[in-house]
Amino acid sequence: MKRVLSSTSTAAPARRFNWRSEWMLAAVTLVLAALLPTVVSGYPIYVLPEYMIYGMLAMSLGMLWGFTGILSFGQAAFFTLGAYAMGLAMKWGIGPNPGYVALLASILIGGVLAALVGYFLFSAGVRDIYFVLVTLALSIMVEQITISQSQVTGGFNGMFVQRMELTFGPFGKISLTHDVAVYYAVLPVVAFVYWLLRRIVASSFGKVLIGIRENEDRAISLGFSTSFYKTAAFAISGAVACFAGALYGSHAQFVSPSLASVQFSTEIVIWVAIGGRQSLLAALLGGIAVASLSNYLNTITPLYWQLVLGLVFIAAIVGFKGGVAGVVQRLAAKRSEEDI
Amino acid sequence: MSEFLEVRGLTKRFRGLIANDRIDFSLASGALRCVIGPNGAGKTTFISMISGHLEPSAGTIRFKGRDITGLSLVRRARIGISRKFQTPTVFDNLTVMENLELAALGKPGAATARQSRIEEVIEITRLSNLARRPAFTLSHGQRQWLEVGLLLANRAELLLLDEPTAGMTSEETHATAELLHNLSDRFKLTVIIIEHDINFIRDLRSPVTVLHLGRILMEGTFDEVSRDEQVRNVYLGTA
Amino acid sequence: MYTPVMHTIASVVIDGTLITFVFALAALGLAVIFGLIGVINMAHGAMLTLGAYFTWAAVTHGIPFPVAVVLAACGVALIGLALEHFAIRFFYDRPFETLLLTWGFFLVITEIIKIVFGTDTRTVTTPFPGAMHILGLELPAYETAVAGISVVVLCVVAFVFYRTSLGIKIRALTQNRDVASLLGLNIQATYKLVFVTGAFLAGLAGALIAPMLSIDPTIGNIYLVRSFFVVIVGGIGQILGGTIVGSFLIGGSETVFAQMSSQVIAQTIVFALAIVVLRFRPSGVMKAK
Repeated sequence: MKRVLSSTSTAAPARRFNWRSEWMLAAVTLVLAALLPTVVSGYPIYVLPEYMIYGMLAMSLGMLWGFTGILSFGQAAFFTLGAYAMGLAMKWGIGPNPGYVALLASILIGGVLAALVGYFLFSAGVRDIYFVLVTLALSIMVEQITISQSQVTGGFNGMFVQRMELTFGPFGKISLTHDVAVYYAVLPVVAFVYWLLRRIVASSFGKVLIGIRENEDRAISLGFSTSFYKTAAFAISGAVACFAGALYGSHAQFVSPSLASVQFSTEIVIWVAIGGRQSLLAALLGGIAVASLSNYLNTITPLYWQLVLGLVFIAAIVGFKGGVAGVVQRLAAKRSEEDI
Repeated sequence: MSEFLEVRGLTKRFRGLIANDRIDFSLASGALRCVIGPNGAGKTTFISMISGHLEPSAGTIRFKGRDITGLSLVRRARIGISRKFQTPTVFDNLTVMENLELAALGKPGAATARQSRIEEVIEITRLSNLARRPAFTLSHGQRQWLEVGLLLANRAELLLLDEPTAGMTSEETHATAELLHNLSDRFKLTVIIIEHDINFIRDLRSPVTVLHLGRILMEGTFDEVSRDEQVRNVYLGTA
Repeated sequence: MYTPVMHTIASVVIDGTLITFVFALAALGLAVIFGLIGVINMAHGAMLTLGAYFTWAAVTHGIPFPVAVVLAACGVALIGLALEHFAIRFFYDRPFETLLLTWGFFLVITEIIKIVFGTDTRTVTTPFPGAMHILGLELPAYETAVAGISVVVLCVVAFVFYRTSLGIKIRALTQNRDVASLLGLNIQATYKLVFVTGAFLAGLAGALIAPMLSIDPTIGNIYLVRSFFVVIVGGIGQILGGTIVGSFLIGGSETVFAQMSSQVIAQTIVFALAIVVLRFRPSGVMKAK
């Protein structure tokens, strides 16, 4: 049975956040992001869409880990499958718009695969700490498969992906070659996925997920079929991660097996751990911030930066369970006497 | 006319140890029953088999006329059999209100019905002024009451309470007995309570079943049981 | 003397057997910690890698191989002690936190390895190159030696657990913490000992495996997942029998499947099968009712 959490200061603030203020914060962020290309141009606009996609990937884990309490090192596996789906769809020219086909297929692939694996394991009551290693194994397996099926996937060296276009039937098309076009194509998609996930976690379904995270035994005893809910959460996060992968494939125009590597699998967990797993916005922004910072510092001091990242991760696990967002919340809570 | 809860020949064997031995037990709807017995008598095992946490080695359990012996834990919770664990098992990081809301979601129904139920429960468990507090900030006794509240919000019909007054002060214990009487009247509940606290059992004024070495030793009122020679011997040294 | 078919079968059996013992050695460290303390040491793979690097460093400085192996194992054991003392021991009652914490250590150790040793691959020359010819069959000399050492290590561990008073105390601890402490057992010290032993075994495995492959900072990763599956398939808590059975099944399957397709595919299939086993295995892996 779940232990009673000690009433240390890390436990409560990590959970308490004002739903209303998060919507406002998200809205403000969206507006700022939408206006950004008008004041800034060049490299940031070019590179941000990729980080926004990473942010989406981080959100998929945020929902699964932060809200349901299921840690997964397997988001990278779904991401990679989505990326290769995009690559292959463009390569084989499936359908009138292979990009759309790939995006749709990625949602199905990710969702169905995750549902199958999730159901297989959760229905038997496989505990979460063993589930973690299974997801790690999944990432390794996907990596191995993409390396070995080289005639299809290009193997170890990866594969180039043609960028998709946005077609609107008889109304013409928009080719995504200019940075600004790409930016304004990716931003609303990410915003929409954020909104969708937020609605899900705020619903009754989401409340049950939180209950499962807090005390699964109690949830079962109240009549909730927790394996169903966990499978559903895993399926949703798998679908989002896979979808993000398809977008990534089109944007980066290159996919390789390293997307499923242990290293990348870990990075995703680090984004969410540092950003803050208790809110989707924190996961999203955490993903964007840590990924971009990581990339930037990686070019300057690759070895030492990774080491620092590892240490910050440990700190986030040991002390700051709420990540950066948790720290911010606690400072905000100290200022106002609103809560409690 | 079948009883609300009917247990026949319920047996649980663990590797050579017989924890429950062919127990026959029945309860009418709306009844309150205390189950007592020295440590190791098999009380928790008995409750666990009714709640679905343990599979019986033999015997049948009928609930509202239906054989539920093979029914899973989740399904039993859904048909109204709810259990309160020995250590308070609530959603610690959620507020009292959120705890109750989640419990209420466990049964189908309109949001308004759920809301009114929650309001009734929070009032009767005297947690109204603590509604927005996270559960882990409550005192031990309050957390026990919250857990009972969860079962009520969950529209449980058969409550299985495992030592609900463990760790409580004597005032809290008195209050709990009163609470259970109120609940029983208000919500038409059937309750089985495992207890050790003599004062609490006396306050409850309910029939008592005494378990010993996995079998029912005797059943009767509190006075009958407390005067019985055999029961006294079994409890020798335990007051 | 033997037909080609028999040769193939013989070589499969030999490879399978040798791999079984190599995997068993590699998994033993994880099995000990997992089985006795209930902690999944996610840094297990990194400790293995570290053992390999320490061995390389020692050998490069002219230290004879056997001594280098022992030094490497001790070095990893010391690091394990430090990690346990300064961090891990505070989280024993929270399995999820320990998992993430040890994962964090995996990250940090891997990065420190990259910083100190660089990312180019290193090699340690095989102390016994070539093959031995016994009964007309070819046995790779070094691998056979490692398998032999593995058997010895397993026997030593078995002896300590089942025949010495220390072993009995440790097993008592895992059965029932409260009773064990009443018997005057120092729980903190025992946990430390178990963790350090697990680290030592991981380092030892890494050191002995070093000559068998090209060493880079990620060689331990695959052994983490493999060892985890060995323990699951073999049975958590069945430290000796389970490790051997698990290694046999995992290692044997990999060898057999590798005959039919590539090593990579074989591994994938074996992992998939192991996941299936994990799902159906009733003991240890399932939520307690």
